Amino acid sequence: MKRRTLLGMAAVAMLLSTSLATAQDVTGEIKLLTWFGGDELTTLHAAEEAFVALHPGVKFTEVIPTAAGHPAGGLRTVLLGGEPIDLIVNTWPWFRKELADSGLIRPIDEQWTANNWGQYLNDSWKALGQTDGVTYGVQYNFGNRSGWFYRNDSLTKAGVTPPVTWDDFLASIPKFKAAGITPLSLAAKDIGHTEIFATLLVRVGGVEAAQKLAAHEIAWTDPIVKQAMLKFKDLFDAGAFPDSATALGTAWDNAADTTLKSGTTAYLQMFGYAAVYAQQQFGVLPGKDFNITQFPTMGLGHDDTSVVEAKEMLLGKSGQNPAAAEAFLTFLLGKQASDIYAKAGFGVPSSAVDASLFGDVVKQAAGVLSTAKLQFVLADTLPGELSDEFNSQMQKFVQTPTEATIDEVLAGIEAKAQELY
Amino acid sequence: MSDVALRNSSSAESEPHRSAPAGGGSRPTTRSALSRGELIAAIILLAPALIFFAVSVIYPLLDTFRLSFFDIKGLAPAKWVGTGNYTKLFADKAFRATIGTTLLFTVAVTILTVGIGWVLAILCSLAPRETRLARIFMFISFGISDAVVGFMWLVIFRPDEAGLLNSILRTIGLGGLQHAWLGDPNTAIWAIIATATWSGVGLPLLICFASVQSIPANVIEAAQIDGARTTSMIRYIMMPLSLPGVRVSVFINLLGALRAFDVIFVMTAGGPVRSTETVGYFMFRESFAQFKLGYGAAATLVLLAAVLVISVPAILERTRGAK
Repeated sequence: MKRRTLLGMAAVAMLLSTSLATAQDVTGEIKLLTWFGGDELTTLHAAEEAFVALHPGVKFTEVIPTAAGHPAGGLRTVLLGGEPIDLIVNTWPWFRKELADSGLIRPIDEQWTANNWGQYLNDSWKALGQTDGVTYGVQYNFGNRSGWFYRNDSLTKAGVTPPVTWDDFLASIPKFKAAGITPLSLAAKDIGHTEIFATLLVRVGGVEAAQKLAAHEIAWTDPIVKQAMLKFKDLFDAGAFPDSATALGTAWDNAADTTLKSGTTAYLQMFGYAAVYAQQQFGVLPGKDFNITQFPTMGLGHDDTSVVEAKEMLLGKSGQNPAAAEAFLTFLLGKQASDIYAKAGFGVPSSAVDASLFGDVVKQAAGVLSTAKLQFVLADTLPGELSDEFNSQMQKFVQTPTEATIDEVLAGIEAKAQELY
Repeated sequence: MSDVALRNSSSAESEPHRSAPAGGGSRPTTRSALSRGELIAAIILLAPALIFFAVSVIYPLLDTFRLSFFDIKGLAPAKWVGTGNYTKLFADKAFRATIGTTLLFTVAVTILTVGIGWVLAILCSLAPRETRLARIFMFISFGISDAVVGFMWLVIFRPDEAGLLNSILRTIGLGGLQHAWLGDPNTAIWAIIATATWSGVGLPLLICFASVQSIPANVIEAAQIDGARTTSMIRYIMMPLSLPGVRVSVFINLLGALRAFDVIFVMTAGGPVRSTETVGYFMFRESFAQFKLGYGAAATLVLLAAVLVISVPAILERTRGAK
């Protein structure tokens, strides 16, 4: 009896010590690697502060490398330097693969189940965080990359309404031209041309086609890819874009200026930051001055697809405080952090978010994306070298948008892909 | 150190027999003239500079050389490839294209910058007092960082209604000449050359002006007494006698243009369709955008070789006869 009592007391003591240890685990330093600045960093700070308020023993240390060129370069430098990192912010699936292949991040399938993250993110969002079938990323904010921004008064001036179908858009082109407005801007100096192609690809071949292309399970010369390019050519032939030299000389901020400030172009397919930029630079208001409409439906069986960008958190293998990092991920998906991001104007994939906090533009995107089949931005799913070739070859197409160029361009990208896969 | 060397050098010249070796050799050396104390002092004084030079120049150079023999892609383990990166580099169409672009950019910028600077220097030297302010303003452009210059000219060349150049053309009735200067692969490189020329003309102006000013006054006066016209004085006196300044300007501009990066990064990022990608930008893209450090290192060393081909003969020529 005495022995039983002692054993019982020992068991209680063990349970107590375990729960105390769990509480104590969520303390200490969390080292977070990111390249953020501006609004994204400010909002991340707000989320961190809210987490620290709940767990006063936690301290965040951000490692923000200074790097010219692609931000991944700076992140790599930190990781190669051996800095122990608990959390890595990422937005490029190809970089996630590189990190996974190098054994620098932890798979999180077990944590996903244990922490019930599935209650916040549906399978479509979970799939976006996977590499080779293994989950690594927890998506916590997103941007709709298949939406078209427009000024309300530009459409009024041309006497058109936002297009629902591809044919609606083609039919509106002469009206825009008559009003002296270029129908669709094309920021081909940076990534505008690859963005439009990425949406055309998922609309023509579904997200499966984009995934297969990214994995090089189909060639760039595949008929599906060519069909998407021919649709792109149709837009050129219909006079949807500015002339080639103007398109190739237009950066995304110039395109935002002409669409959301001067209204000399009608639509702009660009990431959500364009809306933030327009509000800050020109004082225009979402809903009142400008709005967003989804890429027109094409009737090819894949109109339920959309391209998105998303920010995700990865668990660093070298991290010294995995329990606290994991707790922060759970917090990030929860209501409090999700609302912080929603209030700051970001799209939030977590079902815990209070959707009434979204602005009009984000609300529209969130509504569309909640039922859509999602695909990451194509350029971000390709290895860096191929992404670069893709961009450059697509500029060649913008320069001379003919069928002969399409064949040449796709053959050029395929040749590079053959070297890399 | 230079004082010590100078002192010993002069003492060796004045008393050659004292420092001559006992074996009968007649060549005095600076080292043999240094006392032990002076040698230690020289080493101590030189050490900080030598250490700094070794850490900041020699080590990175050697490490770049080492890296160029490895295939490094992102975070994957480095693989030894011997001279593979160099072989691949010269077979790479994109790299070969950058050599042509670099040569065009370097030659055009050097000719325009030095040519305009030289002409302006001669014109300014005809009325040095009256052109002082103009010279200061022209030199200021040289003092602005290349990145800032790039942003300024980016606005000038913008293709939309906010572009200054197109606005001016429209205003003066030449709207037909409006163009997306940086979006057309045929004009983008020339737009960057124009920018680099504007930014760089101040230095040759300053050097050539100093060179013209150093022409002995009696030469000019003699020509004036002989009734030489201004054009003749420019052609037969000022231009030939200011050539040393022109040579220095050409040398400096060649090296600067060969390594050009900032203006290109800001204005076109090597595009459109890689039409403005120089070797310097290619090196950056491969090393820091794609993180192919080995391949980028090979490109760096090719660029270094080009710089050395120009700079070593020029340095030897400039320092010939120096003691």
